[in-house]
Amino acid sequence: MRTYRIQLNERAYTASVEQTGEDVFKVTIDGEVFESESLRRDSISTWLVRSTNDEIRAQTRVLPADKVDVWLAGTPFQASVQVVGTGGYAIPTPGIGEQRISGDIRAPMPGRITSILIREGESVDLGTPLLILEAMKMQNELTSPTAGHVKSIHVQEGATVKKDSLLIVVE
Amino acid sequence: MKLLIANRGEIALRIIRTCRKLGVRTVQAYSDPDRDSLPLRYADERYALGGATPAESYLNIEKLVRAALHTNCDAVHPGYGFLAEEGSFVKACEENNLNFIGPSSTALEKLGNKLSARRTMREAGVPVIPASEGPVKDEDEAATVAEKIGYPVILKAVYGGGGRGMRIAKASDEARRFFRVTKLESLSAFGRGEVYIEKRLVNPRHVEIQTVCDKHGKVVSLGERECSIQRRHQKLLEEAPSVAVNESLRHQLDDAAKKGLSAAGYTNAGTVEFLIDKSGKFYFLEVNKRLQVEHLVTEMTTGIDLVEEQLKIATTSTLGLSQDEVHINGWAINCRINAEDSRSFAPSPGTVIHYHPPSGPGVRCDSALFSGYTIPEYYDSMVAKLATWGRDRAEAIQRMKVALDEVEIVGVPTTIPLHRLLMRDEGFIQGNFNTTYLNTILPQMNSNLLRLERYAVAAAATSRLRNPTPTTAHRMSETSRWRMSARTQQMTAKPGW
Repeated sequence: MRTYRIQLNERAYTASVEQTGEDVFKVTIDGEVFESESLRRDSISTWLVRSTNDEIRAQTRVLPADKVDVWLAGTPFQASVQVVGTGGYAIPTPGIGEQRISGDIRAPMPGRITSILIREGESVDLGTPLLILEAMKMQNELTSPTAGHVKSIHVQEGATVKKDSLLIVVE
Repeated sequence: MKLLIANRGEIALRIIRTCRKLGVRTVQAYSDPDRDSLPLRYADERYALGGATPAESYLNIEKLVRAALHTNCDAVHPGYGFLAEEGSFVKACEENNLNFIGPSSTALEKLGNKLSARRTMREAGVPVIPASEGPVKDEDEAATVAEKIGYPVILKAVYGGGGRGMRIAKASDEARRFFRVTKLESLSAFGRGEVYIEKRLVNPRHVEIQTVCDKHGKVVSLGERECSIQRRHQKLLEEAPSVAVNESLRHQLDDAAKKGLSAAGYTNAGTVEFLIDKSGKFYFLEVNKRLQVEHLVTEMTTGIDLVEEQLKIATTSTLGLSQDEVHINGWAINCRINAEDSRSFAPSPGTVIHYHPPSGPGVRCDSALFSGYTIPEYYDSMVAKLATWGRDRAEAIQRMKVALDEVEIVGVPTTIPLHRLLMRDEGFIQGNFNTTYLNTILPQMNSNLLRLERYAVAAAATSRLRNPTPTTAHRMSETSRWRMSARTQQMTAKPGW
């Protein structure tokens, strides 16, 4: 039996894995039992994961630095998997009070800035529309993740931006 | 006939398939990012348009006409979107003796934009929704007109289509703000900025009639499709027939569609969209003057190849089909699979590192995906249409459940989780939904994601046990996408339905 500490979408889980057959594993996650069966062993593996009330097929890919990519039901996940008790270290679970919302507004996708809706120094509320980013023919209104004032604007209307480029800083 | 395909992706491939069946030679026009795309492999010839953006390629009339003439084509199929309903493109084709697979430029003009279509339909006696007389000129007028019509209203790009260039306003500040956004979006997407305002019906259903019309005035209805499952005015799931339509309503809708299209002198495949309110009253919404994304469900219930009918009408002027020969058999459902985060609907271009389409009896998957395909950021996010047929609706749903379980699209987030949820949703199964129904499903996506997360944890743990160190090195750039997708989830999903 191996125990792993797994962080996924900013939540931490403890999973103990026990091999019960050649390709079958019993996985206990915080008390809930799953069965994970290996269906394809390759650089992209396929697993059939069963619980008492449902079963889902998943594809996984193991990456360096303890990272595992998982795709299931059309949803991507990236997990950070640490072995507990063999040199791995526990990952702190962020409590609600610890989560800091960054006021850096970055481009969530590549695209073009069609419109900037605020000015530097303007005060904004949570949810105030800041700019419109056009990507894949859709106008995506980016809104402020926090209340504050616009500290700086790093793009101009009409500019083409790469994903992750810094657009606006709200403080 | 030799046909230039002035489109890309799954619809280009769809058209090529019928052409190959009929022995029609095809030329696939393509942009730079589409050089390795699937349609190029099955067309007889390929023609590079150059450029990456739609404006440089699939929206460039001059280049497309040159492509057709240069390759000795005598016909052009526009697919859907891009130039499919663009009057100046139809005119350019006509002037160069190219057979445009679609309506004539005269018929297009009568239905050319949303306002002229309303006028044509109203004159033909088809009920229309209350709206502004013409386009509104500025924010002030938008607020005044909206007030007069009564909130909620919907701001629409006069030249819009495909669900783009539309916003719902519930109060005057929204009417003002959305006037600006709609105008911008319209200018960028359609090259024209006119916006008009229409009354927003409360929780209507969206039902449309598929027709084929020949050049002698014959209009044949291929039955209705139900397209009420939408987000941001874009259809996400379609089915044929509709649970909301009984024999008497079907007859009335068919009749209205035929009257309207005849009045416009319409030819080729066309769809008349209607909104149906709670009392069963119906209103004309718009005419889609092209082959539609969801045409495949009609093909599955009628057995008719719509692209073949389009080509027949364009070449022989005559339909080889009469109304008596159309029989609706069973039920078909189509799920649009978009490369998008299924909660925020933020588009997610990227590389599909592994793809396995589902199959089996009554399953059809129209897609230009393949393992290793990179979804370009320049075009639409729809990557596959997964449709199932059943002898009845329940069987179509059962098959869809299985197919959604089978499909593997690894590398980008998709709308699959939403469709999985819908296939298990009591309201959807009962057929009890309208155009705002998806809003009520979305909150379930979060708890659903939390549930999926535990399965992901189990798979990650066993994967790590089986494969403690990666056998091959992976570039970090391949993983950065997942960080992006985590961030787009934080992005506010706008309530612009």
